[in-house]
Amino acid sequence: MIEAKHISKFFSIVNDDRTAEGFYALQSVSLSIAAGKIVSLLGPSGCGKSTFLEILGGLQAPSEGEVYINGVKVLEPLPSSRREMEIYRRKYRFLSPLVNGIFRNRPKHDIAMILQDYAVFPWMTALQNVTFTLKLRGIPRHEREAVAIRHLNRVGLGASLNKYPSQLSGGMRQRLALARALSVGPRIILMDEPFAAVDALTRERLQEDLLELLQSSGITIVLVTHDVEEAVYLSDEILVFSPSPGTVRNHLTIDIPRPRRRSDPELVRLQERILKLFQYDSEHASDYSI
Amino acid sequence: MNSYETQKTRYWLRDAARLLKNSFGSLLSREFLTVFIPLLILWEVLPRCGVVPRTLVPTPVDVGAAFWDMLIHKGLALHFALSMGRFGLGMLLAIVLAIPIGVLMGWNVFIRKHSLPFFQLLSPVPPPAWVPMTIIVLGVGLPMQTFLIFLGAFYPILFNTYQAVKDTDPRYLASARVFGASELTLILHIYFWHSFGAIIMSIKTGIAMGLVMLIIAEMHGGRSGIGYLLVEAKEFFQIPNMAVCMIVLGFAGWFLIEILKFVELKLAVWKSGR
Repeated sequence: MIEAKHISKFFSIVNDDRTAEGFYALQSVSLSIAAGKIVSLLGPSGCGKSTFLEILGGLQAPSEGEVYINGVKVLEPLPSSRREMEIYRRKYRFLSPLVNGIFRNRPKHDIAMILQDYAVFPWMTALQNVTFTLKLRGIPRHEREAVAIRHLNRVGLGASLNKYPSQLSGGMRQRLALARALSVGPRIILMDEPFAAVDALTRERLQEDLLELLQSSGITIVLVTHDVEEAVYLSDEILVFSPSPGTVRNHLTIDIPRPRRRSDPELVRLQERILKLFQYDSEHASDYSI
Repeated sequence: MNSYETQKTRYWLRDAARLLKNSFGSLLSREFLTVFIPLLILWEVLPRCGVVPRTLVPTPVDVGAAFWDMLIHKGLALHFALSMGRFGLGMLLAIVLAIPIGVLMGWNVFIRKHSLPFFQLLSPVPPPAWVPMTIIVLGVGLPMQTFLIFLGAFYPILFNTYQAVKDTDPRYLASARVFGASELTLILHIYFWHSFGAIIMSIKTGIAMGLVMLIIAEMHGGRSGIGYLLVEAKEFFQIPNMAVCMIVLGFAGWFLIEILKFVELKLAVWKSGR
């Protein structure tokens, strides 16, 4: 269960002539995601959806608003006044609020995250990548390897245990990231454009594999994507983001049972509806600029 | 010897063989020899024909004879071993201090802000400028030599390590943090390995600076080492002996860097596929 309340993210820039400028990357985004659902955050690039995902995962603090994962607050929002900022700075002058602990590995929330272009560690083999993650979750040493091998087999990497990421293809690296995320048995997985960097054929394969792996596992997925077809095919719910400032402009629920067919007329109709929303957005934007 | 130990010895032997092949292989390659042998011939012929004065430019044969002479009568091997011992001590000190400090400064802003300006102020002082004061404080001998070598190698290793650790890709940190990594784990498994190549590179720079300081330290007092042999050769105007010292130093530096390359090859296996 993920709950976000009035999340805003403000970025400020100081220009060359020392005037300050700022913009809202996200403005008052609220949503609540039920357990076990696959939810897509869909929108064109630059609409703040990746930022939003990082706020959900606790990698960035929001400017305003709060995120709760299973009732636990993720990160406190950044202070807004100068006085509060001073207190905040003093509080975190030695370690940033993102830090888990100095000596003990201790996850803050039961989530896993797949970042854009995977972020599997290139200096570890496929097996070491997974066992390292298990170590972070406090799985005892003698169990790690068996668990890791089981999950690597599940995603079809059983034959490449001792290969380094540089020796794997893009699709296999993505599978490795998936195995790493699944191996810790999380209740929630946050994915940031996980299939953006692979070719279309591999992407479809990976999407189907993902659905198969998740089948009746009850894992909640939050998927950031700019691919309308992918969003429609995979998700139970779609949140359509619109840019500048980033807000949720539509909330669609898809009730079509799985397995779905990509050519299902209902899915296609939905796709067209969403694309029309985007078109409206871009026309609207061009009106402003002229 | 049980079978495990036999196998271990075999691995060591195989590694040593690979190191020699990688290092001397490039010297003995046909490509290099086509350049090197004509140069050597030119070097031999020009002084003999009187194009350049033979008293000032010793031929390779002269240098070879001087090398043999120094090896037999002057204990070149012992001097060399002493020099390398000092060098190793100074380098060890530099590595042991510079890498942890560099990693800490790259890891944490608080530590960086408190310590970096100090090093930035001290580092522009050319290491040879430290010689007079070091001699007064530590006297002439091993402590002074070790300190000077340390000084030469410390800053390049420190700054390169710090820079590389600071520039660690935040995506790797983020993905480890989401899974619950503590800062110690991040330092040992992410920061260090991400900057491993840069650290090895910095040690290579450190070796070059360390050798400079080794010779300077041995030239200032002391009765042993390659630097001392150089000064002695100068006193007696033995140009072939100087050439021998220079060549020996060149070889030592070259071989140390080859060793480091090999270490990198062994430890950074993940890079070999690229």
